[in-house]
Amino acid sequence: MVLLSMILIPVIVAPFAWFLERVNRDIPKYLSLAVGIFLSICTAYLIAKYPGNGFAFKEFYTIYPPFDFNLHLAVDGISLLLLGVTAFLAITVTLSSWHVERPGAYFFLILVFLGPMVGVFSSLNLLWFFIFWEFTLVPMFFHIGIWGAENRIYAAMKFFIYTHLASIFLLLGIIVLYLNAHTFEFEKLVGINLDPGIAKLIWILMFIGFAVKMPVVPFHTWLPDAHVQAPSPISVFLAGLLLKMGAYGLLRWEIFVFPQVSKFFAPLMATLAVLTIFYAGFRALAEDHIKRMVAYSSINHMGFVLLALASLTAAGISAAVYEMLGHALVISLLFMVAGYIHHKTHTWYISELGGLMKRIPLLMTMFVIGVLAAVGLPGTAGFVGEFTVMLAAFDYWGWIMIIVPFASALSAGFFMWMLQRAVFGPLKESLKELKLTELPLIENIPLAMYIVAFIFVGLIPSVVFNLYNPVVNTFAQLFK
Amino acid sequence: MNINFLTAVMLLTLTGAFLPVINRLFRISTLLGAVISTFGYLLALFFVLISDQGRTILNSFFTTDEVSRLIGVLILVASWMLMLVVYWIVQKDKFVNELIGSVMISTAGALLLICANNFVSLTIAMELMTMPTYLMVLFSFDEKSIEAGVKYFFNGALAVGFILFGVSILYGLTGEFTFRALVENLFSDPLVALAGIFILAGFGFKITAFPFHFWGPDVYDGTCPGVAALLTGISKSAAFIGLMRVVFEAIPVVAPHFSFIFALIAAVTMTVGNLLALAQKRVSRILAYSSVAHAGYTLVAFAALSVPVSITGILYHSAAYAFMKTAAFLSFAALLYIWGARTMDDYKGLGKREPILAALFLIFLLSLAGVPPMAGFISKVFVFTAAVDAGMTWLALLGLLNSAFSVAYYIWIAKQMYLEEPTIEKPINDTSRLWVVIPLAVMAVILIVLGIYINPVVDASLHYAAKVGF
Repeated sequence: MVLLSMILIPVIVAPFAWFLERVNRDIPKYLSLAVGIFLSICTAYLIAKYPGNGFAFKEFYTIYPPFDFNLHLAVDGISLLLLGVTAFLAITVTLSSWHVERPGAYFFLILVFLGPMVGVFSSLNLLWFFIFWEFTLVPMFFHIGIWGAENRIYAAMKFFIYTHLASIFLLLGIIVLYLNAHTFEFEKLVGINLDPGIAKLIWILMFIGFAVKMPVVPFHTWLPDAHVQAPSPISVFLAGLLLKMGAYGLLRWEIFVFPQVSKFFAPLMATLAVLTIFYAGFRALAEDHIKRMVAYSSINHMGFVLLALASLTAAGISAAVYEMLGHALVISLLFMVAGYIHHKTHTWYISELGGLMKRIPLLMTMFVIGVLAAVGLPGTAGFVGEFTVMLAAFDYWGWIMIIVPFASALSAGFFMWMLQRAVFGPLKESLKELKLTELPLIENIPLAMYIVAFIFVGLIPSVVFNLYNPVVNTFAQLFK
Repeated sequence: MNINFLTAVMLLTLTGAFLPVINRLFRISTLLGAVISTFGYLLALFFVLISDQGRTILNSFFTTDEVSRLIGVLILVASWMLMLVVYWIVQKDKFVNELIGSVMISTAGALLLICANNFVSLTIAMELMTMPTYLMVLFSFDEKSIEAGVKYFFNGALAVGFILFGVSILYGLTGEFTFRALVENLFSDPLVALAGIFILAGFGFKITAFPFHFWGPDVYDGTCPGVAALLTGISKSAAFIGLMRVVFEAIPVVAPHFSFIFALIAAVTMTVGNLLALAQKRVSRILAYSSVAHAGYTLVAFAALSVPVSITGILYHSAAYAFMKTAAFLSFAALLYIWGARTMDDYKGLGKREPILAALFLIFLLSLAGVPPMAGFISKVFVFTAAVDAGMTWLALLGLLNSAFSVAYYIWIAKQMYLEEPTIEKPINDTSRLWVVIPLAVMAVILIVLGIYINPVVDASLHYAAKVGF
């Protein structure tokens, strides 16, 4: 019942957030916070009780057995980690949105988003996975469209249509898969023997759906627009959860289900990954818009995730999952600070910023820590992620992966250059008139939470690795 | 036919017929009218629900099975909700009871149509369903509705003419009207194909399939939107079921030859419907063209007639369609009545002005767009599964892409409602919303339940598949 309640309770609470706004404007955010804490407690409980390997806490709700259309929930180490990210971000996003306008509708949508999100990471039935997957679009659309920046409507429409179109390919893949395998159940699908041609077709169709969500160049164009226009807390959800859905779907429903076909397509994945890493890196280097730069760096990091997945080894998958966690924590901090910088200075452009460290040192210090984590400073999650990804890539692909460290240097380059221009140096004339003050305490808390979290998992990565490594090792047998 | 089902049809017809009479005699209020017709609907619903027991009569004309019971219940509920909303919208009109009476009689025709077992009864049922709607289209008596009425009448007459011509050829060849007898007597005569084409063309008019779709948007746009909801939701849904019976029961021998024709019509219908919908400014026309596109999706399932899952696709799409389209037009009607909102521009900011109605409309739009967990999603899954299973992956892909593009205009309406600032200041009719919100909410709940609880429809389709010999 735990998993089902984690899906249903946010959705059930959601209307109350909407209607009780009229009673008191503060009720919605407290409800959202309560749900975030509830999700965290449930996840902590599940992690504590997790036996260490395989699927646990199975819940099976019969809906229509002949078509295998049953709600089948269970979690393994990988899902548990992502559930943890979901719960953590639920709390931090709520805290960051403490002073949002129209809180009733805002937190209604957040809660409606969280339920299906848990569903995506815990469903073992492919059709239900898709149902949860697709439904997360609707609250995101309204979040971007209502609370976003100037061009929000364009971005919201593009986001919805683009990702819905991609999901259509995923759905077609699911249909073809069902007609050949006659099941939606993950456990029956793993390592299933299909006609190689059909399996490749299914793989490609589903890959398009996941690649757009991840996003992989050239399917990435929705993301910078969506990120730039979305309010910062929603950018955190986009980068921290929505992109993870793509990587998680690719891992769970393609790599684990079709190990041999994935092996066939591994070079394609690796090529796209390297392309993504470099393309996004250069775009970030050229970018003057601070939030768009962070968005491109986010694409860049997801390229690393894809590269690690493409190695199809236990080490690579393990690294990819770790990088997903690290990315969620680090990029969330960067998006939040980028949003605050705009809020304080009324400009998005790096060239119009400068010397912010002098006026808002606390916020900027946290920003610098976040940037250092993003470029892979040892002791943070960024280092462990990038390092393990590179190890896996070298291990599997050999010398050709010599180019990857260059990409890392590239990412260090654009971040440091940005810091030098925007944060350090003399204060810009145009900013001297402005009242630049530190954030209120409540909005500093989530930032501090991100920092503590990524330093913690950076210093003691074994906490995370131990959670899911047995699972990864089990599945890695399939690739041999 | 089961006597209980027939009782339901008779009860509905009689309530519909006597409602105007009672009104003329006693000058009943709107509320009393709604209560009387609700009573008729509830009784009919009860008799449909128990229709598997009891004597059978008129067996060679009508058949009652799982399909007729399921779709019968769904059509009755949709029509009942429609009746409530229409009463509320046109409460001040002195002909409102005549209108509701026509709605009930037309629904009775739809109930008969989904049971038709014989070409004579099929035609009679179809005419019973259509005849009252000729009057209803004229209801508002303005220039536009008269134009719509004339267009509708000529197209309807043409459609029934086509069907009758096809039927007469079949009768000439076999001397029989029943579907079953046709199956037994059919021989490979090219004339049979010709007959089939004529019957198909007739149905093409009814379900607004390309190239017989031109009248649809003009009529749906020209008439009172409450009436359009009946035309495009309930009666089209019943026509889908009628066509399904013809295809699977009457001409299964030649049906495989029609598969490709269906596929072709489906491909063009959905593409044309979606493209034209994208170009519209008036919300009623968008909904009208989307209804053309949805006829295309249903035809995809017809094209896949060689596999049993096509029946599930047809049934599911008809069931979901009856609710989502009726409800979408009724939401439009309510917003038109309260705010005078007709074009996309008028829809700006309606989400703020009318939060509950707009939210309900959004649910119907999302269902039409095929976003889970609404019924429109799972019905599309079945439709396209059928196409892939029948080896028409190209058609499924085209349909899915169409479905994805259609999201553009559905989400555009959502965008106007929620993301833009309101332009209209005051409602033109400020009345209690309860009468319209409750029926629409009921339909929304049904759509969500149908989207997850798939048993009733799938079970009915499996029964039917077994009956027609899959």
